Amino acid sequence: MASPTETRLSLIGRLSDRDDVEAWDEFVAIYVPLLYRLARQKGLQHSDAEELAQEVLVAVSRAVDRWEPDPARGRFRDWLFRIARNLIINFMTRRKYQSISGGQTDVLRMIEDRCDESSDELAAFNLEQRREVFRWASAKVKDTVAAATWQAFWQSSVETKPIAEVARELGMSIGSVYVARSRVMSKLRGEVSRFEADGSRG
Amino acid sequence: MDKVVGKCDDVQLERLLHSDDEESDEVRAAAKHLESCEACRSRLASFAADASWWNDARESLSSSDAFAWKPDLTRSAAFAGREGSRGDSIQSDVRRILGAPNHPENLGRLGRYDIERIIGSGGMGIVLKAHDSELNRPIAIKVLAAHLAHVGAARDRFSREARAAAAVVHEHVVAIYNVETDGHTPFLVMQYVPGRSLQARVDEDGPLTVEEVLRIGMQAAAGLAAAHAQGLVHRDVKPSNILLEETVERAVLTDFGLARAINDASLTQTGVLAGTPFYMSPEQATGEAIDHRSDLFSLGSVLYFMATGHPPFRAEGALAVLHRICREPHRPVWQLNQSVPDEVSEVIDTLLEKKPGRRYASAEEVRERLASLLSRAQQFGFGRRRFARIRGKRLRRRVLWSAVAGLLVAAAVVGVVATWPASRPQATEQPPAHPAADGAEIARSEREFAGEWKESAHAIGQMERPTSFLSSGDSWNRDLESLKQSLANLEALVNPAAKPEGERK
Repeated sequence: MASPTETRLSLIGRLSDRDDVEAWDEFVAIYVPLLYRLARQKGLQHSDAEELAQEVLVAVSRAVDRWEPDPARGRFRDWLFRIARNLIINFMTRRKYQSISGGQTDVLRMIEDRCDESSDELAAFNLEQRREVFRWASAKVKDTVAAATWQAFWQSSVETKPIAEVARELGMSIGSVYVARSRVMSKLRGEVSRFEADGSRG
Repeated sequence: MDKVVGKCDDVQLERLLHSDDEESDEVRAAAKHLESCEACRSRLASFAADASWWNDARESLSSSDAFAWKPDLTRSAAFAGREGSRGDSIQSDVRRILGAPNHPENLGRLGRYDIERIIGSGGMGIVLKAHDSELNRPIAIKVLAAHLAHVGAARDRFSREARAAAAVVHEHVVAIYNVETDGHTPFLVMQYVPGRSLQARVDEDGPLTVEEVLRIGMQAAAGLAAAHAQGLVHRDVKPSNILLEETVERAVLTDFGLARAINDASLTQTGVLAGTPFYMSPEQATGEAIDHRSDLFSLGSVLYFMATGHPPFRAEGALAVLHRICREPHRPVWQLNQSVPDEVSEVIDTLLEKKPGRRYASAEEVRERLASLLSRAQQFGFGRRRFARIRGKRLRRRVLWSAVAGLLVAAAVVGVVATWPASRPQATEQPPAHPAADGAEIARSEREFAGEWKESAHAIGQMERPTSFLSSGDSWNRDLESLKQSLANLEALVNPAAKPEGERK
């Protein structure tokens, strides 16, 4: 079995397209926390959940070796998120979090089988994925706006504090709090929509 | 707020949303209007996103973060100097490992060592400050992380690499006193280095001076050379693995060879997951065989980091960083930090060559190069001024000669040859004598200058072909000949070694 290091290395060799590299990094940024959270919700301890996230990542990165650029198959990004979703949901349904590092063929089957579109697992997965995408997008947006602008959004919209109180606390006018929170929301929607339009929903 | 200030304007609201402007009169007026106009507030919110988005955002972002994944792999495997976000779990890990303390102020005991406190933690394990009661000296203990301790391969690697590293005795390498792998918890006993890591130093104080870059780089290269002489490759040279001893600021390298022990045995620290590998060499990134020259690339990245405050290859994700390391050129240091002399920038360029064969041959060679730059810099009053003057001079000269050439061409075209001697006095701008130590620098800038010179001369040579706007071909040629002669004279003044174009005939 290839070591994780070799696996990562093969990714470098395989993915030469900038968009593909970006897709992989985005996938890691969203799916690692997502997997970890799903695993913890299932009752796994911290280190086991972390290990599971790693295993899935390694399994998917191995599958990347089988990716052949082909216009008929669509983009790498779409393929990547589709196989990852299949793997996770089939895995969640069937194996109840036993190690997947053992049987390669099992992993492949889990990657290739279409998952049951009506399962509870899928619904749970979709919900958590959307949450994770929001978190990921909000981290990106936060870096692009002024600290006070972000706070105006966060306190008023996420913490649902009254606007007047937020304005007082941040030393802003009430009107600028309205402006700030909507600007952040607009950017946030832009990032989330971009991700979803990118075909990540498989 | 009964009276509505200003008027409702949807177009303006849209515009407001998509600008980042905070201070303009338009924004202020719109904000004022929003304070009094309920309708516009909700319209602004719906232009940003409809109600379901606001709900989803609130729901997603406020949902319990009890299971939030907190990556701790980006932290240093060495002296991170701070406790991680999972401080509580580290504390409990430590308590599990240690025996009851002898003194109430200590954390506990490990073998004959009194553990005082946790220095830091990373992917590989936990670093503890301790006291050796037998030898009565402070020490640092690195405990292999619990999830690695029961992996046989990791234990073996850990002890093998640690014993190899223990054989390196050098003032710029953290000394390893003892390797304990028999007990339940494998650990290393090391020299305790009071101070902070290079990473912390630059994070806190910003980029270093050129002199410091040279001094720390030279010491790190010396430490690497000592290890390489023993056949040991570090594999993880990075700012957090270079410790700066308090007061004397002596640089010492830590964590020799341990990167391999971690990488091979554990799923953590793979870079698939996290831990952006800013300092990896291209051959490491692509999985080729590596030798000591991989450390030289990483050292180049560390020098770059010291001089600019950030590593040479940056991107949002780990894979994108590796992609850049393998495929894209770095931005030269002097472009980012004007005070870095060309030669220091060039040393870094050489270290950052993608192909190992194009880098320096050894760490010792790098040390010598940095040492000579440092002593020269110190001799001439801390490098920057001296070097900067030379670069400035070279630039001035470049501009000057372009101007001279331009002037001469113009003179030739209008046939007013008599104007050319006016530029002669400029030649005295040449530095009449150079200190010996500067010889190489001057020679190099002369060579560059000669190159430009040839270009100008060549350009003028091209003009021999008769051009239609000249009334008299003869007078053109005559003027051109005297122009070329004057160029040759000038060149002979500044660059006696080179044969100007005009003299080749």
